[in-house]
Amino acid sequence: MARQSHGPDAGEKNQIAKTGTTTVGLTATDGVVLAADRRASLGGRFVANKDVSKIEQVHPTAAMTISGSVGDAQAVLRQLRAEASLYETRRGRPLSMDALARVTGDTLRGRPVTPVLGGVDDDGAHVYDLDGGGGVMEDAYASTGSGMQLAYGVLERQYDPDASVSEAVAVAANAVAAASERDTASGNGVLVARVTADGVATATYDDPAEVA
Amino acid sequence: MDGHEQTAYDRGVTVFSPDGRLYQVEYAREAVTRGQPVVGVTHGDGVVLAANGARRSPLQEPDSIEKLHAVDDHVGVATAGHVADARRLVDQARVTAQRERLRYGEPMAVEALAKSLADAVQETTQTGGARPFGAALLVAGVDENGPALYEVDPSGTPTAWRATAVGGDGTLIDHLETEYADELDESAAVDTALGAIRESTEADLSAVNLDIATVTADGYDALSLDERRDAVGS
Repeated sequence: MARQSHGPDAGEKNQIAKTGTTTVGLTATDGVVLAADRRASLGGRFVANKDVSKIEQVHPTAAMTISGSVGDAQAVLRQLRAEASLYETRRGRPLSMDALARVTGDTLRGRPVTPVLGGVDDDGAHVYDLDGGGGVMEDAYASTGSGMQLAYGVLERQYDPDASVSEAVAVAANAVAAASERDTASGNGVLVARVTADGVATATYDDPAEVA
Repeated sequence: MDGHEQTAYDRGVTVFSPDGRLYQVEYAREAVTRGQPVVGVTHGDGVVLAANGARRSPLQEPDSIEKLHAVDDHVGVATAGHVADARRLVDQARVTAQRERLRYGEPMAVEALAKSLADAVQETTQTGGARPFGAALLVAGVDENGPALYEVDPSGTPTAWRATAVGGDGTLIDHLETEYADELDESAAVDTALGAIRESTEADLSAVNLDIATVTADGYDALSLDERRDAVGS
């Protein structure tokens, strides 16, 4: 996640930063695990914040990681929460994950944000890879951000479709840890969200190795 | 005011009478009562809609008297009252159902669709210069909660029913209250619906003038003339 710079050194290329961050999402047998690093950067070269929350709950049983422009991401999160809440109040049932993903894609279109959306509904666990063009791609696991290639390397080797949420948490943390080692825009620990039919539980760790 | 108290209060739809009534809305309900009746009956697998659209002249094409309308794959609407007003609502239902698919990628729940139509109808009872819809709807469909049947009346009130009728007098609902049973199958539901229509008309039912449609998990299906002949004969 990168932030628009307002400082005296804010060069033009820093005004709309589009990279930075490592976020991952994995489906498990009983839910979804989302994980993200905690660094916010300016242009990927200056650590603007060392304790940023890049995973937010948007629905009773769904959460979203954010990477890209902080302001756009926060606006999308606020709008999604309102959409999901209004739908549930009016209809008496929460949005399904496919419907939530579609609304998210429509909300994202044209914004420099690439989230991973994960949640649980009557059909089970779902993870979606989203992009600022409005693209919505469901997958068993996904990663976005400047560290995604490093994270995918870990996910390709360690993802286990038969793992439970408590087992998948370690894989998610390993993916973020690998990216944090080599991607200058990722680091400062890891935020993990465990999403099950009971809701969303988040926890922060200063060292990815603490996650278990 | 000119001495005719009721005349004064029914000038505008937005004006309450001293005893809290909206005469224009009541007149709109009266327009529905004078319309030809439509009946909806839910059963284990879906909903049956039936209507009796008698022709003004034998020269009129029976198929052009539309009382039952497909709205989406899983929803149909039956209308009673002013045909022109009803057609507007049917189109609005179709657009609303498609907008739901665009927005969420899912078929619209029957309750949500009925409430959306009720909102549109209600707006005309509170807008200066507007005239209420002189039509009532039965919204029938099958969604993830199973079969559902809603009535939307000219005041904009949505109500869920196991079986009901709009248009015509109370004899249809009297019949349904007596004959409706919880464990109907589709053909029994058709018989129950036709029985109610039979109560409301002196003439024998004619398959040509009747409309019957079924909505199940497989979709909306308007019965052909041959199928309607079988249904009337049974």
